[in-house]
Amino acid sequence: MRNFVNLFTFALFLVLSNVAVSGDVGEGEKRYAVNCGNCHGPGGMGLASYPKISGKEVSYLIDRLNTYRSGKKIGPNSDLMIMMAKPLTDVEIDNLAAYLATDPAAKR
Amino acid sequence: MLKKSKLLSAAIFSAATLLAANGQADTMGTPKISAMSIVNGLENPWDMAFTKNGDMFFTEKCKGFSVKTKSGKINKLYGMKGTSGYNSAGDDLFCEGQAGMLGIAVDPNFKKNRRIYVASASTKHHGSGCKDNFDVCNGNIIMRFEVSKDMKSVSNRTDIVNDIQYKPFESDHPFGGPGAHNGNRLRFGPEGYLWATTGDRHKGDIPQHPTLLGGNVLRIDTDGKAHPGNKPPKGFDKRMYTYGHRNVQGIDFRPSDGRAFTAEHGPWHNDEITALVNGGNAGWDPKPNVAGRGNCPDKYCGYMPNQKEGMLPAARAEAGTPMSDERFKDLMPPAWNNNGLSQGTGSAAFLKGSQWGYWEGRLAVGIMGIAFGGTPSGMRIDVIDITKDGKAIKSVIQMPTGLTKRFRGLRLGPDGALYATVDEGEIYKITARK
Ligand code: HEC
Repeated sequence: MRNFVNLFTFALFLVLSNVAVSGDVGEGEKRYAVNCGNCHGPGGMGLASYPKISGKEVSYLIDRLNTYRSGKKIGPNSDLMIMMAKPLTDVEIDNLAAYLATDPAAKR
Repeated sequence: MLKKSKLLSAAIFSAATLLAANGQADTMGTPKISAMSIVNGLENPWDMAFTKNGDMFFTEKCKGFSVKTKSGKINKLYGMKGTSGYNSAGDDLFCEGQAGMLGIAVDPNFKKNRRIYVASASTKHHGSGCKDNFDVCNGNIIMRFEVSKDMKSVSNRTDIVNDIQYKPFESDHPFGGPGAHNGNRLRFGPEGYLWATTGDRHKGDIPQHPTLLGGNVLRIDTDGKAHPGNKPPKGFDKRMYTYGHRNVQGIDFRPSDGRAFTAEHGPWHNDEITALVNGGNAGWDPKPNVAGRGNCPDKYCGYMPNQKEGMLPAARAEAGTPMSDERFKDLMPPAWNNNGLSQGTGSAAFLKGSQWGYWEGRLAVGIMGIAFGGTPSGMRIDVIDITKDGKAIKSVIQMPTGLTKRFRGLRLGPDGALYATVDEGEIYKITARK
């Protein structure tokens, strides 16, 4: 019984925390429109030297954006992206990741 | 009744917005512009070239070149390493970063000789070079091909220039990946010679270098030999028409006097339109330890100071490496500097024909948009009225294409329409009506 309660609390925790961390797709789309599309193109389709970011997994996107925000390089053109990631808040990153994970470029 | 008047006002409103979108029909003869996508689903289309009949050759940066014949059929002619579906291919041709298969031009005598010219990154002529970023690296080439009568294949590839410099490795700079700054736009001038633009490949000494090809505009014949009238400084490679450029990717010839004008990418500041002077210096010198500068990352001062942060373009231009350094006595001053901004100004075509109204003879300039450190992105085509002496402009008007795209290549077609490749994978035909 105790085990069951524990499991239940854990499941509840999972559900709640999931609600707390999963971003808002609509807000992400709005934030994307501010300046991300200038480089990554409509819906994150990727253009020239700017990688495709549409349809990637939420956790991957959050990890990349956090890495850039912390000033760490990934590829050879990271300086450009670090500058863009620096001003992002945690909430904005969650929202952007949620939006991009819906693969908006494929829907265009 | 109410319904009717509502409809009527809606109609008036939409007519008004239509007019606005078309740049206002006015008494001055502003042309009405419409844009139509004619090819889509491409991958980084870069440049186009037309036969007088209206067949359109085009390149895709990482794939190869094709032709869209007058009848509308697309034939994939010559591919790069690792591609499929092309009639033939060159295993030495590759893409990396900004480099790949870029400019294309059709011989003015195409009808007789069936020749076309294509610029690409290639491993074929590296020899013992390209060991590091400071080494000589012959990695950008210009090829000549002959196109079959049925437009389905090419043959007789001849590499007419094989020593345009290439950046083989990553460096500590923004956009620091390999393959940076190749130039590689190809256009035939009014006297039938081939003009080729080149870039500084992030190597500090290249633009002012007398013999390494990079940061130049070349004027050559169709075998790759120098035009006999080129007048670069003593000791310089005779193929150079101008030197001291950063990364020229737009070039065209003013219809009224045949003068060459370039569109050039600036370094976080000052994109430039420049009237070329035979033997002239565009004034870009990103070497360390000159002009009051100290050392720079990987001996290239092209993004200094503060190269990793946003900074007001004017402040950077003031403190950093100027696009047009007035130290040089043979400097060709720019006609236009994009209000001090760098937004990816990389293609140019003069507008010809009376359908362009009072824009006839003006320069259309394709701007991709970069949006770096607070600079507005600015994806657009500008129409620029340049003074007769080529040293200033009279006006800039944004062409009302209704498109917000990364305009990569512009070319006037034989039908007088303006054609544009965009990074979004399409080719547009932009027409004007009076
Ligand atoms: C100035 C152009 C520019 C803008 C604007 C820009 N990016 Fe980027 N972005 C880049 C470049 C260049 C890279 C690759 C950097 C590298 O080499 O590490 C990149 C990489 C990324 C990546 C990682 C891609 C991968 O799979 O490795 C993500 C995610 C991303 N950007 C999201 C965004 C978001 C979200 C925005 C808007 C807040 C944005 N970018 C705005 C240029 C830009």
